[in-house]
Amino acid sequence: MNPAGRTGLMPADSASGATLHTIVAVMSFLACLSLGFVLTLGRLASEWTDGLSGSVTVQLLPSAQISPEDQVKEALRLVKNWPGVFAARALSREDSQKMLEPWLGGGNVLTDLPVPQLIEVTLQPGPVELEGLARALADGVPGATLDDHKRWNAELASFATSSEAVGWAVLALIALATLAIVIFATQAGLQAHREIVEVVHMIGAKDVFIANEFQRHFMWLGVRGGIIGLVLAAVTLVGSSFLMNSREAPVGAQYLPQLVSSPLLYTWLLCVPVVMGLIAMWTARFTVLRVLGRMP
Amino acid sequence: MVRFENVGMRYGLGPEILRDISFTLDQGSFHLLTGPSGAGKTSLLKLIYLAERPCRGAISMFGREIATTPRDELPGLRRRIGVVFQEFRLLDHLTVFENVSLPRRVMGEMESQYRAEVEELLSWVGLGNRLNAKPATLSGGEKQRVAIARAVVAKPELLLADEPTGNVDPEIGGRIMRLFTELNKLGTCVMIATHDMRIMERVPASRIYRLAEGRLTVAKAHDFMAQAKRA
Ligand SMILES: Nc1ncnc2c1ncn2[C@@H]1O[C@H](COP(=O)(O)OP(=O)(O)OP(=O)(O)O)[C@@H](O)[C@H]1O
Ligand SMILES: [Mg+2]
Repeated sequence: MNPAGRTGLMPADSASGATLHTIVAVMSFLACLSLGFVLTLGRLASEWTDGLSGSVTVQLLPSAQISPEDQVKEALRLVKNWPGVFAARALSREDSQKMLEPWLGGGNVLTDLPVPQLIEVTLQPGPVELEGLARALADGVPGATLDDHKRWNAELASFATSSEAVGWAVLALIALATLAIVIFATQAGLQAHREIVEVVHMIGAKDVFIANEFQRHFMWLGVRGGIIGLVLAAVTLVGSSFLMNSREAPVGAQYLPQLVSSPLLYTWLLCVPVVMGLIAMWTARFTVLRVLGRMP
Repeated sequence: MVRFENVGMRYGLGPEILRDISFTLDQGSFHLLTGPSGAGKTSLLKLIYLAERPCRGAISMFGREIATTPRDELPGLRRRIGVVFQEFRLLDHLTVFENVSLPRRVMGEMESQYRAEVEELLSWVGLGNRLNAKPATLSGGEKQRVAIARAVVAKPELLLADEPTGNVDPEIGGRIMRLFTELNKLGTCVMIATHDMRIMERVPASRIYRLAEGRLTVAKAHDFMAQAKRA
């Protein structure tokens, strides 16, 4: 990888180069993974809140003033005509039973228990006058209440935001550690090439010429290390999602957050090798210019 | 083209190893620098090729006062000087050809501009068949010839050589000295630091400098040789 098409002033492979490659690769791997987690969390949070805010539920408690059939009919009529409502569907006994099964177990529980009848209401995107609907239901249909998931919504949203914040903090720490380690390794690599700097300097090279040679060498080193880390991270991410979706996955694994598969995520991950290259490049430039500045 | 006036030099906070050095090198002249080991010959050359700064006195190179020359103009002056380092200082990861081309490359030339010249120069010093060898595979004398080729490849106005015949047999030593004399005839000012008495007999040195105890004394070549023979 030498655009000039001739041997660079730097040795192509040296012991320090191998160390630097490894360090950059490992740090890129960690950065890619944590970036994956953060972005997944962010997406998950918005999916959860979107999914919930797109729907509300009407609960119908048995009432002495109205027969259950009329109660459902009345409530459906009122809800369906409300502006902003996309669809409304009364859940059947079986639907309710299925929803409650994990908690109550199978069997004929519902026939024995006074389980409320539920109506699932899907909303159109955009603001809907839910408080008005709640009042209308309370006034018009005895035993009807509206559950707009507000409490859930708020809790989920704050949970998602706080875990996203933790994720970003972890990412920032990894970035900081990467910066420090890459700077350290680059400087160690330069130390090994001090003789080259001195000789080329005394032969009459300008500081900028030497800095360019070094920064190009270290930029490619950083990019290569970053790509190795990126590939490893991509394999890990894809592999984990594949395992989770496969039949052998433990029961419930499919409900765990899915890590991959947004193009946005991959665009972000591609930034990692670029950033690694830039860090190595600027460190090399800065260090070489400082070393040269001390020479007459 | 080189003028030293009362120059003193020390490494760090150590003692002054060069004191009150004054001399001038004119264009086209040929000089030898002798003196016991540790006298400061290499240090004096370092001052001339601008690798060290004096602690006092004034140095002027090619008509420029070094003390007042901005740092970014020094590379331009260094390019007019060719140096054969005592320890060669070849770059181990580059081939013989690449090592010798380095000064031309540093000047921004393309390989097509110097390829033929470098090859010719290398075959002249007897290394025409080792173009792609790495320095680690060369003998001491071969390394020395590579170092010499690198020093002269950019046709410097001033050539400094530190013990350039230390590792070669008399035959090659003679060739190297002939190369230096040829360059000198073409107008290059040459200064060679050496212990080698045979060199002194062979070259047209206009002056022989002698460093001892940090001071520089000058002798006309003839007087020096006569003195050396008597001793
Ligand atoms: N980088 C350095 N730092 C400190 N002291 C040095 C350094 N280089 C040389 N010296 C000291 O300066 C003195 C002169 O050294 P120099 O190398 O100039 O001698 P020289 O005449 O070239 O000797 P030789 O004939 O053995 O090459 C010596 O005492 C040496 O120890
Ligand atoms: Mg010496």
